[in-house]
Amino acid sequence: MERMTFFEKELSRINRVIYKNQGQIDAIVAVRDYIDCKYETKLNLNLLSKIHFISKYHLLRLFKRYYGITPRQYLIDKRIEKSKENLGNGMSVTETCFAVGFESLGSFSVLFKTKTGKTPAQFRREQLSRSN
Amino acid sequence: MKVTLIGIPVRDQEKALRFYTEKLGFIKKLDTPLEGGNRWLTLVSKEAQDGPELLLEPAPNHFEPSKVYQDALMEAGIPYTQFDVDDVQQEYDRLIELGVEFSMKPTQMGVVKVAVFNDTCGNNIQLVENL
Repeated sequence: MERMTFFEKELSRINRVIYKNQGQIDAIVAVRDYIDCKYETKLNLNLLSKIHFISKYHLLRLFKRYYGITPRQYLIDKRIEKSKENLGNGMSVTETCFAVGFESLGSFSVLFKTKTGKTPAQFRREQLSRSN
Repeated sequence: MKVTLIGIPVRDQEKALRFYTEKLGFIKKLDTPLEGGNRWLTLVSKEAQDGPELLLEPAPNHFEPSKVYQDALMEAGIPYTQFDVDDVQQEYDRLIELGVEFSMKPTQMGVVKVAVFNDTCGNNIQLVENL
């Protein structure tokens, strides 16, 4: 058996202190998996809470604790990431907006610009001119 | 301001270039000759070629404190930086097959799984997967 490095010892100490509740971790990972698979549907805290049998505020608190962001922020990041893929593949801005689950073109464009620094149309143009 | 570059100190730029491209799968982006055989040598990830560049910098050979710090991190098993992968176990198996040495096997830490390998140029590097 090789000796443990300082780093390994620290990780296992931290694991014992803050990650001891494996059941809770599994539950939150399941919520994240659900968002990953269903990001394009109408998702909200009520629905996630019902499906995963965790109270709304507990779920919100735990998700933030383990992933560092709220489920809502996570969902938005996921949708933006997917919309970048779609736009890069040549899908139109309107089509992309609804395909990834946004309900208004206006809020999609604003969010997209905030997160990426470009409007969806600019991003799409750049991606397509690059691949030609 | 934007983040476009991450520097990694290496003892031998040519050896680092081979390890990071041949074993890890990065792609060379810039290779500009500088003074004294040093190069401005950057790589990008194959999956995100417009993402941040990795700068393989020969700092430990020219600035003693850099070498001291790098040695101390290596000794303690502390990763200099980390790269994201889809599946840590799969990447661990692939790299073991290529002869890469790991100081930490795939290990779960809360909602991530991590593993640590030696980049043969003075650093421990951590692989991370979001569970």
